[in-house]
Amino acid sequence: VRLSNKVSFCFVLLFISLLTFLSEPLPWAPESLKVSINSTHQCLHLQWSVHNLAYHQELKMVFQIEISRIKTSNVIWVENYSTTVKGNQLLHWSWESQLPLECAKHFIRMRSAVDDATTPEQRFWSNWSSWEEVDVQNSLGHEPLFVFPKDKLVEEGSNVTICYVSRSQQNNISCYLEGVRMQGQQLDPNVSMFNLHNVAFIRETGTNIYCKVDRGDDIKGIVLFVSKILEEPKDFSCETRDFQTLSCTWDPGRDTGLLKQLPQSYTLFESFSGKKTLCKHKGWCNWQVAPESQEMYNFTLTAENYLRKRSVHILFNLTHRVHPMAPFNVLFKDVSVTNATMTWKVHSTGNYYTLLCQVELYGEGKVIQHNVSVKVNGELVLSGLEPDTEYSAQVRCANANHFWKWSEWTRQNFTTVEAAPSEAPDVWRNVKSVQGYCVVTLFWKPLSRLQANGEILFYNIVVEDLDRPSGLQLLSVPAPANRTELTLDQRAYQIHVTANNSVGTSPASVLVVSGDPGDEEVEEERVKGTEDGFSLSWKPQPGNITGYIVEWCDRPRDPLCDLQWKHLGPNTTSTVISSDAFRPGVRYNFRIYGISTEMVPYLLEKKTGYSQELAPSDNPRVVMSNLTSHSFTLSWKDYSTESQPSFIRGYHVYLKSKAGQCHPGSEKAVLSDDSVCCKYKIDDPKQKMFVVGNLQPESFYEFLVTPYSAVGEGPHGAFTKVTTPDEYSPMLIRIILPMIFCILLIMILCYLKSQWMKEKCYPDIPDPYKSSVLSLIKSKENPRLTIMNIKDCVPDTIEVVNKHEGTGKSPTEPEAAKPTYLYLLPAEESYSGPGPCICFENFTYNQAASDSASCGHVPVPTKAPSQLGLLTSSENLLTALEKNCMNSLEEIPAGESSLNYVSQVASPVSGDKSSLPTNPPQPELCSEYKMQMAIPLGLAAPSSSGSSSLSSITLLDEGEHYH
Amino acid sequence: MDLRAGDSWGMLACLCAVLWHLPAVPALNRTGDPGPGPSIQKTYDLTRYLEHQLRSLAGTYLNYLGPPFNEPDFNPPRLGAETLPRATVNLDVWRSLNDKLRLTQNYEAYSHLLCYLRGLNRQAATAELRRSLAHFCTSLQGLLGSIAGVMAALGYPLPQPLPGTEPTWAPGPAHSDFLQKMDDFWLLKELQTWLWRSAKDFNRLKKKMQPPAAAVTLHLEAHGF
Repeated sequence: VRLSNKVSFCFVLLFISLLTFLSEPLPWAPESLKVSINSTHQCLHLQWSVHNLAYHQELKMVFQIEISRIKTSNVIWVENYSTTVKGNQLLHWSWESQLPLECAKHFIRMRSAVDDATTPEQRFWSNWSSWEEVDVQNSLGHEPLFVFPKDKLVEEGSNVTICYVSRSQQNNISCYLEGVRMQGQQLDPNVSMFNLHNVAFIRETGTNIYCKVDRGDDIKGIVLFVSKILEEPKDFSCETRDFQTLSCTWDPGRDTGLLKQLPQSYTLFESFSGKKTLCKHKGWCNWQVAPESQEMYNFTLTAENYLRKRSVHILFNLTHRVHPMAPFNVLFKDVSVTNATMTWKVHSTGNYYTLLCQVELYGEGKVIQHNVSVKVNGELVLSGLEPDTEYSAQVRCANANHFWKWSEWTRQNFTTVEAAPSEAPDVWRNVKSVQGYCVVTLFWKPLSRLQANGEILFYNIVVEDLDRPSGLQLLSVPAPANRTELTLDQRAYQIHVTANNSVGTSPASVLVVSGDPGDEEVEEERVKGTEDGFSLSWKPQPGNITGYIVEWCDRPRDPLCDLQWKHLGPNTTSTVISSDAFRPGVRYNFRIYGISTEMVPYLLEKKTGYSQELAPSDNPRVVMSNLTSHSFTLSWKDYSTESQPSFIRGYHVYLKSKAGQCHPGSEKAVLSDDSVCCKYKIDDPKQKMFVVGNLQPESFYEFLVTPYSAVGEGPHGAFTKVTTPDEYSPMLIRIILPMIFCILLIMILCYLKSQWMKEKCYPDIPDPYKSSVLSLIKSKENPRLTIMNIKDCVPDTIEVVNKHEGTGKSPTEPEAAKPTYLYLLPAEESYSGPGPCICFENFTYNQAASDSASCGHVPVPTKAPSQLGLLTSSENLLTALEKNCMNSLEEIPAGESSLNYVSQVASPVSGDKSSLPTNPPQPELCSEYKMQMAIPLGLAAPSSSGSSSLSSITLLDEGEHYH
Repeated sequence: MDLRAGDSWGMLACLCAVLWHLPAVPALNRTGDPGPGPSIQKTYDLTRYLEHQLRSLAGTYLNYLGPPFNEPDFNPPRLGAETLPRATVNLDVWRSLNDKLRLTQNYEAYSHLLCYLRGLNRQAATAELRRSLAHFCTSLQGLLGSIAGVMAALGYPLPQPLPGTEPTWAPGPAHSDFLQKMDDFWLLKELQTWLWRSAKDFNRLKKKMQPPAAAVTLHLEAHGF
């Protein structure tokens, strides 16, 4: 029992001890946990101490920290924080929240454990501290809307969480990023959050984010400053030029874009000396070299801004980073024709270093390089130079032992001294014979710079008469002339030409000019040129030849022609002549001369050709002649084949006709305008006339003459039109012209003899005695016909006609005064007319009528049937006439001023019945002529047919018709 | 009316007109005594020219601030811009202003606005914007001188600035960047409203100085940009 009691007692003690241990805090548990907020950095800052840790004690501990959001069960962060804890030490730990702390409540608690090898028995967690609540919303104030975080500064590519806190649940709130509405996540009825991923730099004034109440004008916003990431400095290097200052440079990289909100700094730190300097500039910094001759330098360049820090390092020996300054005082001395001495100085770098200097000499298009070792002063002899040549020399230096960088170049120019010309001028001549004299034009080419050795001032020409050795003629031509003209007589002369500069004279160029050029007897040969020039060859000449000369003109169409020549050796028999002046379509003439040992040139061959033949550009001017109905002749005598852009091989004559048929000797050709014509080909370029035959008379033709060459023919321009004449025109002209001439002659004669003709043929008053007609009639038909004598006529009426003198009007005009009749015989009652009528008998017409002295004035009978019987006898006829005379007079047109004359000119009163008038006399048509017409006996009005017999003639009353 | 880049031809024409008339502005040329009429006309012309100039400047500056400040219908509440002189005024009150008070209010407003604008210039990040702002400040200084000339011609004394009350445009410690942008927006908007008002003020004065003429109808409104 006692034993069991003892065991029970021990168990109770142990239990009590355990209870005591559990009821008191464990040693080294966290206590006094305080939480503070840094809104700007969105940080929670924790501060605590460790319970019951001795003052001198030091323990390695682990603190487990739990952070919940909105409610304690929503743990969002657990972290173990290990540290060594000393007695009574306040511990700190910070945590940055992604969500702005103002957006939600946060709860924090922690527990601890010993993580120390000395106390392995204590490796279990203490109890959790109580939850510490962090609620910033309570301290925000009473504004209706808040947006967090305020004006945050982040780097590009960061994730940012934004939230708004609204005081009223009823408001509908929209949030915008740069004007674009954002979709959020509601944390609680008053708070929504928005996650922005991978934000980008937009502008230096930041990215605007704002929220506004949909029904209201309240607006709240923040500016999110997004910075471009600070770049690491590139190409960081340092060098010295004077061993006093180190100049360090680097490339800072791109700008962060927020220089105002996020300034960046560059710091240079040298680790051996421990010195540090803040650089004033973004890309370079100077560092004073230590006076104690520090050789090694270890630099750290640090670029830093609020968000990031970047560093680069370099380690170097100062003597390896020497960048010498440019040499100075570059001079040239002892400058001669071919040599010069160049000297220069370098900036002092102490007595320890040797510089390697590089000299470059530019002249005559070449570069010559020299390397020279220099301590302080440099010197270099430049040799092999050309006389009178400008050279440019430049020098630069670098550290000879440890090359780092060349200095800048220092340049200086100099010119070598002149020398006498080294070569004789290249001379050629052109000889013309003018009025018994030789006009020699001397040409020479200017010496090249290398040959001239200075500025050529003048050319000396010595003309030596070979026949008279003493006869010398000296001529000096100032430069830059390249020609001169000499007039010599027909003898042989030797000409010496030398070029002179300020130093001396060149060797002489010798040429012999003989009186006879002897150029004309050589045949011209055609050569074909190419783009590269003309390939010429000639036969080698027997005997001693010092060389050949090929001569041509660069501008053959130009009067001055720009004479060119080329010297060739005695063993050369071919060459290629090329020139930039050669143009396609221009004919070039080449002459090849041989030069004898006596320096006498004589013509060997002539060549002509084109560098490129072109089609003829012009057609000849064609003159057409000998146009007949079957042919015409074309000629173009003035067409020059020499001036054409190619060798003319002949001509094409195109002939267009409507018939379209081509005769033998021509062929059909289709032109570019699809018209068809006949083409005649002329193969001889010298034939400049062509007869186009086999043409049709009165036909239209068109023709064109165009030259052709190896490369084509001339332009098909305008055709000339021609129409062949008809076949008979020439004959007609031969007949008609003489006829016209004859008629004209007759007319002129008639005009000249008009009076005579009038009297003969148509006198104003016919004279029966003079009339040949009467004799003609009398002799043939009626030998009894005679001429009435006026004296035999007894007048019974006188017709008085008032005629106005000078009016010249026709007596038949109605306005003429009416005749007044004076009745000489007693009027009969049957007369109804106003007065008597004087009727002259015309015996020409009717013998019977004249015998009865009846009036020949025969009016149309008013009562034809009743009068018909009367007409059968002369008495009756007279009666009838007398009766009807006045009636008819009424109808006579007045106006005749004189006595009415009875004309017989057109009287049909011949025995020929067929010539009788075909119409009976009409009263209306009563005229002098008709009134006097005597109607032969037995004849009445003729029938309409004119062939009626007497028995069938019937005079009808007026109003009746003739049948 | 929005504050966008305006018609450059109109601006050019206005500039030419102002340059033509500048020698006659009394503030610049006090040799003659043509009376206040021409001075008022020139001040009116200068006001119109500044309106055109501001339209271009504000367009550039608001784009520099970014959306929503460059949006045409953006009309935020006037929160932190209380220190800015207000141009909007009740129509009856405006009508009842006498010439001296009218000119004094204009002079004081532009004095303050010019200081604020210079502060804006100092903050601008781009050189081009700083040049434009500096040019506008110079023009506004000219307008201030022109108003002073009109007041002198009419015999009104210039208002004396109170010592130590030089207005500044520096944000306080609690001033957020977003609010600062709002203030900048309001500064430009208020400046434009003042230029509208000044144009009407000087038009009214101009007609008042002329012989009796037709009645003046005035509509003073302050719409959004």
